Amino acid sequence: MKKMYSNKLVITSLVLPGLLLFVFAILAPICLSVYYSLTDYSGMGAWNMIGLENYKTLAHDEAFFTALRNSLFLAIGFICIQHPLAIIVAAVLDKKGGRGESFFRCVYFIPNVISVAVIAYLWKFIYNPNFGLLNNILKLFGFEGNINWFSPDRAIWSVLIVLIWHGFGWGMLIYYSGIKNIDPTLYEAAAIDGANQRQTFLRVTLPLMKPVIQVNVTMAVISALKQMETVYLLTNGGPGNATQFTATYLYQQAFKAFKYGYGNAISVVFIIICLLATVFLNKIFEEREPKRRVQ
Amino acid sequence: MKAKWWSAALTAAMVMGLMTGTAVTANAEEEVTLKVFSNLPDRKNGQGLVEQMIIDEYMAENPNVTIEVEALDEEAYKTKFKAYAMEGMPDVVNIWGQPSFLNEVLDAGVLAELNEADYADYKFIEGSLEGFKKDGKLYGLPRNTDVAVFYYNQKMFEDNGWSVPTTYDELLELGKTITEAGMVPVAMDGGDGWPMAVYLSDVLFKISGTDYQGIVADAVANGDFTNEACKQATQLLKDAADAGLFQVGYDSQDYGTAMNLFTNGQAAMFYMGSWEASMALNEDIPEEIRTNIRVFTMPVVEGGAASATDIAAWNGGGYGVSANSAVKEEAIKFLNYMYQPDKLSKYGWENGVGMSAQDQTDYMTGEETDLMKQIVDIVTNATNVSGTPVNDCGPSAFKTSIESEIQSVSNGTTDVDTFLANIGAACK
Amino acid sequence: MERVGKKKMSAGKIVLWIVLILVAVIQIFPLIWLVDFSLASSNEMFTSGLLIIPEKIQWGNYVKAFVDGNFLHYLKNSLLINGLAVVLVVLISIMAAFACLRMQWKLRGVVRTLLLMGMMIPIHATLLPNYKIYSTLHMTDTIWALLIPYVAFSLPQGLFLMTSFMDSVPVELEEAAVMDGCGIYRIIFQIITPMLKASIATVSIMTFLNNWNEFMMASTYLSSPKWKTLPFSVLEFTGQYSSNYAVQFAVMALTAAPAVIIYIVLNKHITKGVAMGAVKG
Repeated sequence: MKKMYSNKLVITSLVLPGLLLFVFAILAPICLSVYYSLTDYSGMGAWNMIGLENYKTLAHDEAFFTALRNSLFLAIGFICIQHPLAIIVAAVLDKKGGRGESFFRCVYFIPNVISVAVIAYLWKFIYNPNFGLLNNILKLFGFEGNINWFSPDRAIWSVLIVLIWHGFGWGMLIYYSGIKNIDPTLYEAAAIDGANQRQTFLRVTLPLMKPVIQVNVTMAVISALKQMETVYLLTNGGPGNATQFTATYLYQQAFKAFKYGYGNAISVVFIIICLLATVFLNKIFEEREPKRRVQ
Repeated sequence: MKAKWWSAALTAAMVMGLMTGTAVTANAEEEVTLKVFSNLPDRKNGQGLVEQMIIDEYMAENPNVTIEVEALDEEAYKTKFKAYAMEGMPDVVNIWGQPSFLNEVLDAGVLAELNEADYADYKFIEGSLEGFKKDGKLYGLPRNTDVAVFYYNQKMFEDNGWSVPTTYDELLELGKTITEAGMVPVAMDGGDGWPMAVYLSDVLFKISGTDYQGIVADAVANGDFTNEACKQATQLLKDAADAGLFQVGYDSQDYGTAMNLFTNGQAAMFYMGSWEASMALNEDIPEEIRTNIRVFTMPVVEGGAASATDIAAWNGGGYGVSANSAVKEEAIKFLNYMYQPDKLSKYGWENGVGMSAQDQTDYMTGEETDLMKQIVDIVTNATNVSGTPVNDCGPSAFKTSIESEIQSVSNGTTDVDTFLANIGAACK
Repeated sequence: MERVGKKKMSAGKIVLWIVLILVAVIQIFPLIWLVDFSLASSNEMFTSGLLIIPEKIQWGNYVKAFVDGNFLHYLKNSLLINGLAVVLVVLISIMAAFACLRMQWKLRGVVRTLLLMGMMIPIHATLLPNYKIYSTLHMTDTIWALLIPYVAFSLPQGLFLMTSFMDSVPVELEEAAVMDGCGIYRIIFQIITPMLKASIATVSIMTFLNNWNEFMMASTYLSSPKWKTLPFSVLEFTGQYSSNYAVQFAVMALTAAPAVIIYIVLNKHITKGVAMGAVKG
């Protein structure tokens, strides 16, 4: 048995496809990125090695820092708005139970399965100041209703709202299953101790949901960092750089401004930031709950 | 000459084909697939329709040739074009005879050289090929003569007693009047950045007149836009935005959204290039609007050097052939076919897509839309033309920068001086 | 006393209902708005009402969307590419999970960490270099240009989930199989895989949802319509019909439909799958 389980040939055949994919689709591009980030390659023609010049430029690139700030804003928005909402709605749904439960779950999740391309264009229309749905709703409530939802100071909020709307069902569902997994006897115990609903939620549900919340927070931060598609179609980083994100910015620099080398420098820094963020979040949570993490 | 030779050859080939049966033709001619990369996604209206008509005709006349079209919006097109420059181009591509686009492309050697002498009979307007040349060699052919104009709804103007503004101040005044009437004065595609850059160029030209080219060239070369003319022009653009001349949220709305405001009667004017003259024939647009579209050009700026008949116009878009095309001969043959005066130019004329870069006087029937006639008048009566808009005069990093910064300066996120400093820095 | 208590209860219930319905309306109303306007004609859209009753229902919008949006072709591509990606991810992740979990070799920890690293790498950071690689290898505009990154970036999550599920499969089963003379491959595919049905569903759903939305790669790597996926219906169409809003709405509704229908039909399984992934994740 032991011999069979340590047969090198078999092992290789099992891991090779995965490893090849990793090398070809992840590792090789990253190495190539590092290489091009040291050049002044415009995307075509000849190029020169310019050392760390691109990284030096990047360190002073305001648009890049705007992009990072926007990612941070998004992450905070997810953590402080989307997730609390999702937990509360999940708790309410669990509380209500019975009839309609699966109907609501289904409805909440629907936006999640719709392609980002549709979502982005749909919201472009919803935000349209001239005939958009949102301003029409405001008019219904007696407001003037010609708000420019993509003004420089509002645009990032508008993007956040779309993302919250799109991802709400997912978060809700995950918290919902987390709540369902809580041992009902704990609630009974709380009831015997005379806890009211709010106390039960704060003292029983929330603490027990901690592991689920931690995983979700990590996912929220990562997805805020990775954000690209929706923004690309919704605002393409504008107006100005008001809704610029790292991914949209590197795309713009490489394919629009003809700075392929610089775009790759952004890619490399982007990867490092994502790795650091994950490690950092894992560290924070590990101290409290060492068992949960994998690596 | 060459065109005639080709058509003679084609006729001969077709006659031979008919005489000897189709099987022989199929064997005699190799199957060729031409890839055309186009910036005209709407294949049923305007310029896109014209392009498709010619492609269909060409395929009908050359049964061995299949033409595949990939069409993207302008912004997406330019992005993808640069991506293609890395791996090899489709055979026939849209190009722009402007430094921001062509310089880097030509440096990389991705476009095939054309023989200028071949086009002596093609009736290109004098000077229109210049933008497509480098070191005296020709790399592309211009498709249009573009003029920046305000389209306006004549009926709406008459019904409300508005008149076409003759000075920039009047334009802003008119804007206020229209806003008070509950309508959008000018629909502006500010989301893309380049239409506002054209607007800026238009104003700059009105201020500096024939000095425009020199001022822009110096500014780009020195990376310094802090001269008085540029300052004033930027301020005038900002004044317009501040005065509410453009629709709410103009700086995030795209081409289609802006145009639809106008074509659905929500906006009184629409600032765009003359290529949209085909709106007058577009059946998706309600008839009472499309038959009432007229144009005027940027009104004069007080104290500016340019007169009312000095217009912002240039030869921008056109076609080129990939240098590494495996079927280069066929590609050039197709390119020449498109530019035979009775193809692009004539069909373009008949479909009201504005002025081509070739002499079109032969095709005037007197039955053109009023809009077309008006544009022709504007061009024929022009005392001076501006040439390439500012954003297309520098390297593409500059273009990217100005088209993003112009949104910020118009909506007040940055001030005029920062704007000029930033776009100057992007030239270096 | 008792009566008051009951009343309070039902008042609480009503609040719960209101919250749930409000959220449901927020989530679904934009889609109703979309479908509503897609049946109107373009010039009816400039209204200040929330919904409109079209003068005449314009089914023609959908006909245009269906034909000119290349709908069937792109749908077929989307289903094929996503389907293949799902199968490959499931297969490769089961194999790798088994090797890293049960097989005895020195580097298994390292390899597993390496493969899981992919979860942290943003897919868009590889957009530029991958473009270079694929164009050098003449793989742009082929199905591989999409399939490879899709599988590669879904694999870490798949592997992660498979490992944690496989961990709970009792080793005794395998031992018995070994006694019967089964080889490793037979153990994996005939003994273990059937035990992993639930997790296979989870991994499939996650992979499918991840890649169904993707279009940045697709729009960079593809040029001909041959392999273009469903989002392109919308992207190309808005340019093509820029002056006709209603038809744009129709194409959006049409593009959204397949995934929504699949979801509603498989609602129970998907909910369960996502929930399981969440608990394990």
